[in-house]
Amino acid sequence: MISLSSVTKRFKNTLAVDNITFKGQEGEIIGFLGPNGAGKTTTMRLILGYLLPTEGKVSINNLNPLKNRVEVLKQIGYLPENNPLYQEMKVQEYLEFIAKIKEATNISEIVSRVGLQEVMSKKIEELSRGYKQRVGLAAALLGDPEILILDEPTSGLDPLEQEKIKDLIESLARKKTIIFSTHILSEAEAIATKLIIINQGKILYDGVKPKGKGAVEKLFKKLVKE
Amino acid sequence: MFTLYKKELTYYLNNPIGYIITVLFAVFANFLFVKDIFVVGSASMRPFFNLLPWLLLIFVPALTMRIISEERRNNTIELLLTMPVSESQIVLSKFFALCTLIGIALLLTMGLPISLFFLTKLYIPEIVVSYLGSLLLAGVCIGITMFFSSQTKNQVVAFLTSVITLFVLLVLGTDFMATIFPKTILDFLNYFTPQYHLANFVKGVVDMRSVMYFITLIAMSLFLTIVSLEKRN
Repeated sequence: MISLSSVTKRFKNTLAVDNITFKGQEGEIIGFLGPNGAGKTTTMRLILGYLLPTEGKVSINNLNPLKNRVEVLKQIGYLPENNPLYQEMKVQEYLEFIAKIKEATNISEIVSRVGLQEVMSKKIEELSRGYKQRVGLAAALLGDPEILILDEPTSGLDPLEQEKIKDLIESLARKKTIIFSTHILSEAEAIATKLIIINQGKILYDGVKPKGKGAVEKLFKKLVKE
Repeated sequence: MFTLYKKELTYYLNNPIGYIITVLFAVFANFLFVKDIFVVGSASMRPFFNLLPWLLLIFVPALTMRIISEERRNNTIELLLTMPVSESQIVLSKFFALCTLIGIALLLTMGLPISLFFLTKLYIPEIVVSYLGSLLLAGVCIGITMFFSSQTKNQVVAFLTSVITLFVLLVLGTDFMATIFPKTILDFLNYFTPQYHLANFVKGVVDMRSVMYFITLIAMSLFLTIVSLEKRN
């Protein structure tokens, strides 16, 4: 379970996250929506302990990610924004490297699930953006983490690739807590079970996904314009 | 930690830059020593070990400058710091990978003592201890460059700041400083210079104070690097 309680994050004079509180439970797919610079990536980095909160408390399965960093990170699979990868490595090498660090043994299962069999012997720098995204996703899934944090997992992908990633996220949802950020409202509408809408560091909505076609977009536009 | 160490070492071994810098170091070290050996007429390794700090001053930062700054520039630092490994494991694995590389570069200069061995009587333990001292000095250079590399995304900045810092440390131990400072201050400053402590090793003496000097400098620079990674706001 993910829990953020009155978390604030300030960078010098900029207030990136302003007193936010929310929880994420097992089986939930949380769509994290907000315009550019709303505080989505900062919030995700705070959950991971990559950034330290200025105020407030973050806990992952009742553990503080700052005090129990390694323990907490064992339970989280993370796909960062812009998907940084070691470009000079081959896909096989890269996944083996991550698997060793995470003490994971499920490489072949993840590879077939994500669809990377054909490119395992290729260098990452030679891959298309879609395949690179799959490599990042495979790395996040190694070790079968309880929590998945995906920052813009479909960013820059063509509609076909987006569809595949969406299906994959849905198929993983039963036993995991998944938080994914996106600009694409239809994507959140299709796969999220819960929505968090954030703007200027403040949470504007935290609740179940509204039902009906276009309801997410309507809600988003209404809250963000206000 | 071994996985991270292997990854770093593999990067240098699969990358021309690693070979180029290592081989250039060996070529320069061998050449600068050999060019004077027949002029001086003395078959001793001491001139080589006196020259070595100045070579390490350039080659170690050249090899090390990318070690964290490149991770910052490519944002792979976020990948590393969100994996279940501690900051100290990251820093130590990078440090030992670089020590291995410098160790290989120093091994490439072993041709010199081996050649001299056939020309004259060399005291082998003295050579071994001198190499140990040089490796410790290289460790200091690696540690300091790693710290500067952790401070910036720009490899050139990391290189220049490291070279300047190491240069100041080395210059303090030269005779040139006698023209600036009185003897009492010079003796005091001398104690903090790497050459003073390396000189003990070059004489074949393993002085624990010198060992502690190098280890303390390495530990301090690695500690500051770890703190710099932990302070990632």
